[in-house]
Amino acid sequence: MFKWLNAQGSEFKHHTPGETNYLSKLDPKLNEKNANGILEKPFPLNLSFRSEPILSEDLRNEIYNRVVRMQRSVRGVSVELGVDMRRVAAVVRLVELENKMKEQGKSLAIPYARAIHEMVPTTPLYDDAREYRSNPHENINDLPVHRLTDPQIFYPVSESRQFNRIDAGRAFSGAPALLHRDAARMAAEPDETIRRITQGDFRQIETVGKGEDEQQVLLPADARIPHPHLIANDRNRISHGMTEPGLVRTKYYKRLDQEMEVDQKRKERAQQRRERTIHKVQPENSRFEFRFRDAVVSAQTTGANGRGSQAPGHRYGVPSYDRKKGQVKIPTRVKV
Amino acid sequence: MVVRIRLARFGNKHKPVYNIVVAQARSARDSRPLEVIGTFNPIPQRPTGLSDEEARAARAYKDISLDRSRAKYWLGVGAQPSDGVWRLLHMAGLIEAKKVPNK
Repeated sequence: MFKWLNAQGSEFKHHTPGETNYLSKLDPKLNEKNANGILEKPFPLNLSFRSEPILSEDLRNEIYNRVVRMQRSVRGVSVELGVDMRRVAAVVRLVELENKMKEQGKSLAIPYARAIHEMVPTTPLYDDAREYRSNPHENINDLPVHRLTDPQIFYPVSESRQFNRIDAGRAFSGAPALLHRDAARMAAEPDETIRRITQGDFRQIETVGKGEDEQQVLLPADARIPHPHLIANDRNRISHGMTEPGLVRTKYYKRLDQEMEVDQKRKERAQQRRERTIHKVQPENSRFEFRFRDAVVSAQTTGANGRGSQAPGHRYGVPSYDRKKGQVKIPTRVKV
Repeated sequence: MVVRIRLARFGNKHKPVYNIVVAQARSARDSRPLEVIGTFNPIPQRPTGLSDEEARAARAYKDISLDRSRAKYWLGVGAQPSDGVWRLLHMAGLIEAKKVPNK
């Protein structure tokens, strides 16, 4: 080991700021740099692994600034800076934590952070806003593959009919096809259709199946992505972008505002619903608050034999396999 | 025999969770009751999703679920709440507070 450290390895002892310090530097075959002049394959034996850029300090501060100080929506900031919404939210939480640590007078590992930022590729804070579109930190419109779309389905469609994403969603969830009249109307005004789905009432989403098998009809991919308004914007850009770019931009901001407003209303309604169903009591002689939720005891919930899983409380005569061998308690799924 | 509304203990060691049950008074605590009308978690929960200021002022809460209409029915036909359940039902606004005799 010391032989290597004193010979070849000595090159890695000190890094050059702004350049990666990866093992592949030694291999002339792997020593190819990307467009930004950065060596991005750290492992000589795993060539398919690329080290993705991380947020630079400036970009991170800008995200926090826009969300917290300027009160912009997380969705909007995610679009403007080309960063995933979940990452935007994480940045806000972590900077908040950092501020709290500073307030408490705890020491921060700043030299360590600086050294790491010098050694890995980072996404800088661009001056030109258009750079974020052409060169985003991550593809914000990535869509996780829905489980319903896994099977291959042979679905005969007449040649005279347009088969679009809405129809595909219905075919995958086994719902009957739309009436030709409705399908034609939806295809004629795609933006309005998607807006009605994403900003309308979610309770109106159609369902198929009965009882326990009931499930919602799979929505078109345009409605399931986190930023549906981007598709509307692209459609607008393609049709009007060359002649009236200003109009496209104003429309885009209008759409963002509209979405924010609807989101706000939805949140308020959810809060009101929660407050309606929960009865809070704060007795004077107690340190605690007591929250009464409504439970339903009926033939539907407790079932004919009184062992229904919907019934309130712990169930009788139903063994808990909590401590039994082979029970996996590690969550196998993460809901995004 | 008296029908009581009382608590039945479930959960693990040091982690009690209670069913609020309607049962015959002489039956065992955790035996199968006439009816389960709710649950009571006596371990105070910290409210989440609050701002720093709100969190400082907020009280920890105890979570209760209760079918009010069933509770009213059983009280109406003469079921006797135990002391603990009496306090809960009083807080839910279903009955008067229990009179404690002066010593």
